[in-house]
Amino acid sequence: MNDLDRSARPASGGIRPYQFPDLVSRRLESGLELMLVQKKDLPMVTALVVLDAGEARVPLERGGLAVLTGDALEAGTGSRSGLEWARALERLGATSGVSTGWDSTTVAVSSQADRLDEALPLLAEMVRSPSFPEDEFPRYKRQCLGTIAQRAMNPGALASDEFARFLYGAHALYGRPLGGREESLASVETVECRAFVESAYVPHGAGLVLVGDLDAGEAEALARKSFGDWAGRPADAVGEAALEETESGVLLVHRPGAVQSEIRIGHGGIRRDAPDYFAVQILNLVLGGSFTSRLNLNLREKNGFTYGVRSRFITRRGAGPFVVSTAVESAVTGAAVSEIHGEIGALANDGPTGAEVETAISYLSGVFPLKLETTGQIAAQAAEIIVYGLEQDYYHRYRERIRDVSLTDVGETAGTRLRPAQLRTVIVGDADVVAPQLEGKRLGPIVRTP
Amino acid sequence: MTGVGPRTLIDLDTHTLDNGLEVVLAPDPSVPVVAVNIWYGVGSRNEAPGRTGFAHLFEHMMFQGSAHVPKNGHFELIERAGGSLNATTWFDRTNYFETLPAHELDLALWLESDRMGWMLPAMTGDKLENQRDVVKNERRQRYDNQPYGDWDERVQSLLFPADHPYHHTVIGSMEDISAATLDDVHDFFATFYVPNNAVLTICGDIDPAAALEAVVRYFGEIPAGASPPSIPGNPVLSFDTGGTLRQDVSAQVPLPRIYMAARVPPFTTEAFYAGQAAVTAATTGRSSRVHDRLVRKERLAKSVSCSTLPLTTGATMLLMVATGYDPASVDALERAMADELDGLTSLQQDELDRAVAVTETRTLSQLQRVGSRADLLSMFATLFKDPRRLNRDLWRLRDVSLDEVHAWAAEYMSPSNRVVVRYLPEAP
Repeated sequence: MNDLDRSARPASGGIRPYQFPDLVSRRLESGLELMLVQKKDLPMVTALVVLDAGEARVPLERGGLAVLTGDALEAGTGSRSGLEWARALERLGATSGVSTGWDSTTVAVSSQADRLDEALPLLAEMVRSPSFPEDEFPRYKRQCLGTIAQRAMNPGALASDEFARFLYGAHALYGRPLGGREESLASVETVECRAFVESAYVPHGAGLVLVGDLDAGEAEALARKSFGDWAGRPADAVGEAALEETESGVLLVHRPGAVQSEIRIGHGGIRRDAPDYFAVQILNLVLGGSFTSRLNLNLREKNGFTYGVRSRFITRRGAGPFVVSTAVESAVTGAAVSEIHGEIGALANDGPTGAEVETAISYLSGVFPLKLETTGQIAAQAAEIIVYGLEQDYYHRYRERIRDVSLTDVGETAGTRLRPAQLRTVIVGDADVVAPQLEGKRLGPIVRTP
Repeated sequence: MTGVGPRTLIDLDTHTLDNGLEVVLAPDPSVPVVAVNIWYGVGSRNEAPGRTGFAHLFEHMMFQGSAHVPKNGHFELIERAGGSLNATTWFDRTNYFETLPAHELDLALWLESDRMGWMLPAMTGDKLENQRDVVKNERRQRYDNQPYGDWDERVQSLLFPADHPYHHTVIGSMEDISAATLDDVHDFFATFYVPNNAVLTICGDIDPAAALEAVVRYFGEIPAGASPPSIPGNPVLSFDTGGTLRQDVSAQVPLPRIYMAARVPPFTTEAFYAGQAAVTAATTGRSSRVHDRLVRKERLAKSVSCSTLPLTTGATMLLMVATGYDPASVDALERAMADELDGLTSLQQDELDRAVAVTETRTLSQLQRVGSRADLLSMFATLFKDPRRLNRDLWRLRDVSLDEVHAWAAEYMSPSNRVVVRYLPEAP
C-alpha cells in the first residue's frame, strides 16, 4: 500500500529537449541536391531519390502515366532484367519501394548500413536507366488497370474519387484519380514512359537523401560515384491546379444493398505553401484530426454512428481538398451528414477554444519525434524540403513554429478556411435508403448516380 | 553475405511484482520518448460460445473510463500530453499502448493502472450500447461493406474445426455482439484483466530504477486474481484437414482472388522457424520464385503474398493470397499456388540465404520504432516468458538448415492439409 492519490493526473516530469538530427545538404554539379542525415542507433540506412515527376506533370488524357512509369521502373534496366535487378538487391537483404504522388516520385532502398555501397548503385541504375522492356511493360499496365478496377468497387476509394471529381470537375487536374482512368491509361505505350523519364527523371530539381548509420564523407563519395555524372534538365511542367469557389451540392452514388454509407464532405483547401499552414494543421486537429476531435467525439463516442471519422486538408503544390471522411450505418446517414455540417459550421463561426488550441499544439509537438523514428520516415520527410522548397531548418524549427500559432490565428483561419456554404457532399451507399433521409436538409442540389 | 550481428541490440531488465505483473524495462536515451505497452493474455480464443467478438468489444470498453478517469479521458490526456495511443485485439492476446514524451511516463502508468485496477466502477449500460454501435460499424466497414472483407470468417471456419478456438474471427458475429451484456463485461474483467495475466513493457528514455519504482507505486496495490481458466473448446488438432476444403464465393469483387491456407506448427514451436524460412524464401520479394512465376512469367496474378501467422494454439495458419485478373484462369491460378506450396521441398540454399537477409533487415527496420520494440518485448514475455528472446530471434533464421526447410515442407504441405476460398466476380 502507499499514499498515492489516484484522483488527480500525475504531475509531469521535467521536459527533455528533442532535436531533429543534423541535416547536411549540398548541390552537386549536376543540380542534384544531396542530403545527409546521420542516425546511428541501429545499423540501418535508407537511400531515397526524389524526382519532380509527379502526376501533376501529366496531362489529363494521359492521367496515370507518372504512376505507371514509377511502377514499371522495376521491369528492367539498361544492363539487367527486372529479375536480375531484384535478385541483386534482395541478395543484400535490401528492400525497395517506388511511390508516386501529385508532386513527386520517390524511389527508396533500405538496407543494413554496411551494404549501402552495393545497394546505392542499384538504386541509381533503376532511376537513371530504366528500360521498359516491351515484353514486360503490358504486365505493369495491366496491374495499374487492375488497381483502377479495384478502386471502382471499393466503397471508400470510390467515394474519395467521386468526391475529387465532384469538387474539381472531371477535367481538372485534381478532379481525376491519382492513378488515372482506364481511358487515359489503356493506350499508354513504352515510348511515352521513356519520354516521361527523359523529361522528369533528371538531376536538376531532384534530390538524393541518405539517412542512417553512415559516415558523411563516405556517403558523399558513394553518392558521387553513382550519381555524379547524371545529367539533364527538366521539361516545363504543366500548370498547377486552382479551384474556384464551389457551390454546395450532393452527389449520391447508388450501391444497392450497401450496409453502410461512405461519406465525403468538403470544399477546396490550401496549398502546401499557404501562409497559415500551421494554423490550418491545428484547426484540423480540433475539427477531425485526432481521436478527441469534435467530429469523432460527436459521431463515434456520442452517437455511435461510425467506427471513426476524420478530416484533412490535403496539401499539394496546388490547393488540395479539405475533406471529412467517414463510413456510417445506412440508417443514420442523414443524421451523420447533418452533424458533420453542423460541426464545420460551428467551428467556422465561433472558432476553437483556447483549451482546444493548446491541446492541439501540445499534441503536434509531442508526436513530432514519433513520426521521425525510422530512416525511411526521416528520408521521406527530408524529401519534402526539396519538393516544396521548405527551409533547410524546417524540421529543426517545426515545434517552435507550431507553438507560435495563437488562438487568434486559428480563429481567423477557421473563418476563412472553413466555408460551410460551399460544402459538397458525396455519399456512396444505398440511395433508396439514404435519399429520403436527406429531404429537407439544406445541402444544395442532389444528384443521384447511376 | 554476413552483415551485422548476431549481437544483442536491446538491453533490458525484468521484474515480477508481488501481484504477478511481469515488468520489462528497456532503456534507450536516444530520443526523449517512452513507450508503455501492456499485453493481457486474453484474445478471441478465450471467448465463450455465443460471445464471439467479446474480447474486442471489451477492449473498446477499456477506453470508456475508470474510477478516476472520465469517459474518453484516457485519449484526451494522452493526446494533450503529446502522445499517441491505441489498443488491438487478436487471437491470443489484447494489447494496449501509448507512446509519449518521456517526462509524461507517470501519466501513462496512472491511466493504465486505473483501468487495470478500477475499471468496473465506471461501467454503465449507456457506454456499452455506444461502443456496441461503434463495433458494429467497425464490422460493417471492415467486413460487410468491403470487397473480400469476410475472407477470414470463411478461411478460419474451414481451417479450424468448430470446437477449436480459432474457428471464429476476432470481430465476431453481429448476433453475438448484440447479445453481450454488462454482466459479461464484469465477468470478463474479473477473469482475465488481472495483473497476473499481464505483461507491462516500458521502452525508451527512462531511468530503470525510477521507472520500476513508479510501476510499483501505480500497479503494486492491484490485487492478484485467480489464474485464468483454460481455453474453451479443443485446441489440439492434427496438421491435416482431411482433404482440400473449398468454397467458391460469388461476390461484388472487381477481380478474382484466392485465399489458400494450411495448418502448420504454431509460433511456440521450433518447427515454426523452418516454416517461416520456407515461406519467406519462396514468396517474399520480387526475386522470389512465387512472384516470378505467378506475377512475372505466367501473369496469372496481379499480386501474391504468403505468411505464417504467429499464433500459438494447437496450430497456426499458413496463408497465401493471390489476386488474379481473369475469372477464366482462376483454376490455373489455384493450380499454380498449390504447386508452389507443394514445391517448397525444392527450395535452394541461395533462396534461403536471401530470406534470412531480408528478414533481418525488416526486423531491424521494425525495431527503429520504440512502440514496436515495446510490443515485441511484451510478445516474447507473454508467449515465451522470455523477453530477451527478441535479441536471439532476430538472428534465428540463420540457424535453419535447408534440410529442415525441406522436411517441414514435406510434412505439412499437401492437398490433404489445405483450404481454398475463391472469390469470383458476380455477373453484372
